[in-house]
Amino acid sequence: MSSTSFSRNESRYFYALAALGLFIVFLGYLGMHQMEEHGHIVSGMNNQIVWGLPHVFAIFMIVAASGVLNIGSIGTVFGQAPYKIRTPLAAIIAVGLLAGGLAVLMLDLGRPDRIIIAATYFNPTSVFAWNIFLYSGFFGLAVVYLWTSMEKRMYVWSKPVGLAMFAWRVILTSGTGLIFAFLVVRQAYASALLPPMFIVLSFAWGMAVFLLVQAAMFAWNNKILDPAILKRMKNLLGLFVISSLYLVAAYHMTNLYFAKQTGFELFILRDGGIYPMMFWGGYILIGSLIPAALIYTPGLGGTKSVVTASALVVFGSFALLYVFIIGGQAYPLSIFPGYEVSSSFGDGQIAKYIPSLPEALLGFGGLAIAYLITLIGTRVFNTMPHDAAVVAAKNDA
Amino acid sequence: MTQLALVIDLNVCVGCHACVTSCKEWNTSGPAGPLSDSDPYGANPSGTFFNRVQTFEVGTFPNTATVHFPKSCLHCEEPPCVPVCPTGASYKRKEDGIVLVDYDKCIGCEYCSWACPYGAREIDAKQKVMKKCTLCVDRIYSTTLPEADRRPSCVMACPTSARLFGDVHDPESVVSKAIRESAGYALMPEWGTQPANHYLPRRKTTMTIHEDELMRVDNPLKIDGKLPKPSKQQPTLDDSTSW
Repeated sequence: MSSTSFSRNESRYFYALAALGLFIVFLGYLGMHQMEEHGHIVSGMNNQIVWGLPHVFAIFMIVAASGVLNIGSIGTVFGQAPYKIRTPLAAIIAVGLLAGGLAVLMLDLGRPDRIIIAATYFNPTSVFAWNIFLYSGFFGLAVVYLWTSMEKRMYVWSKPVGLAMFAWRVILTSGTGLIFAFLVVRQAYASALLPPMFIVLSFAWGMAVFLLVQAAMFAWNNKILDPAILKRMKNLLGLFVISSLYLVAAYHMTNLYFAKQTGFELFILRDGGIYPMMFWGGYILIGSLIPAALIYTPGLGGTKSVVTASALVVFGSFALLYVFIIGGQAYPLSIFPGYEVSSSFGDGQIAKYIPSLPEALLGFGGLAIAYLITLIGTRVFNTMPHDAAVVAAKNDA
Repeated sequence: MTQLALVIDLNVCVGCHACVTSCKEWNTSGPAGPLSDSDPYGANPSGTFFNRVQTFEVGTFPNTATVHFPKSCLHCEEPPCVPVCPTGASYKRKEDGIVLVDYDKCIGCEYCSWACPYGAREIDAKQKVMKKCTLCVDRIYSTTLPEADRRPSCVMACPTSARLFGDVHDPESVVSKAIRESAGYALMPEWGTQPANHYLPRRKTTMTIHEDELMRVDNPLKIDGKLPKPSKQQPTLDDSTSW
């Protein structure tokens, strides 16, 4: 590892950015404290919408954490040099995102104080319990991965550890998809397509997050990313965005063909108010088509276009998760098919959900944790990708 | 294996909510409580209930009927809420088949609420753990209560005796007989959860009567003909009496 010295001004910027991150983490703490003190009743969640906005943030971060490490896998498992030198950065972002996501997930539990119970009482039949195991394993493995990719003595281990990390990632993201795929009674879920869909979504979201962080680092250091490498990475982002779009389309198309799912699909795609708006406008248009256009339109595809496309992919991911998680719960359980039901409990009705401020604060607090870990990690470790050697080798070849 | 359950007769349920309030009263003050409420007398009341009554319309106007459908945890024989619980806080008792939540192990992740096809699980906003019907497990085995009172609170309260309680695995129990003789059915059997609670359907008592059955075959007027109308000169009843 090479040592890096920082100028006084640079240090000031760093501490200012860190203070900003800490401030948002503090706001997240306030949001969590409010919900903890007064119960979930102060949130927009209720007995129909049991997972709300914090879960949108948490699942985004967990899925993206897995996807960011795809950069490392392409380097260490598939031997692509430009990606290999980005492995440490990818590992740090992944650890940050997973920490942020898990923090939100745990603090949004009814009883976050009982997290030790979740760790000590393990129900082997619960996919949720599997995920607790998978998340902790991911952390450990990511740290080892970071070590093997940065410590020269450990380079020999980088490939096997990279392979293990790759396998673990696939299983972990499948596990996240399975949380929903196993919900046979809900119209929105119960599909074997969800685990692969989450894997491909993770590739797109992780790539987008990585490109944003990388662009910020290059701008910070007044460096310009080699155009050939930018082109490779943006094409990969475009491919992942289109693949995600394909799987999301296949998921909804198959549902449309199942008569019992039609009502739910029409709700999500046409009649559900905010949900179709977020799906078509947020995910399809802003989160997929515009980024694809920015990447592939001749004349575009420069740094600015790629950064904009990445930011839009992240925006689209939130829109998709909002529709997927909250829209899926808002549509009522079909207990009396074909009948109009009313009760004092909102049975048979579209559930209402208005996200509350504490929920949003908790979600942004989680993002701030990911940001802080990335900020400090990239400063402590020398994770700046140095492409000169790779480009020179390519030119020589 | 014993499988305790409720059988609810929709034919006689009038939707009075006595089961809802008696359940809340008993359980909020017992080991399952408190079942916290929020803004109970305000515009947007919210709270935790083990038992709620749903109402739905059957038929098309003008030939409609209203069905009141009390719904609580159905104590499924294959409960989907149990395997999904990460800490094993949700469990099914072997001795009587009651599905319960260990409040000390529940972390409030609400995943069981996603898995339940019947929407029977609720989070207590204050205690922050999942709650559901316990079949009044603290009552049915209580030795401090008279034998006749060792039944779920909702069963005790129902004014029309629409709620029956017993072992559905015992063919001679009152619930098994009711299911057998009155076409009792389980809710959404297609999920394969085998709900222990059953419902007795709405039944209309009808019989076919032909027009000739409405005519009295032994009508004396028909046999003897109508009595002749008395003439106006004949003495009236007033004339023939002394007053």
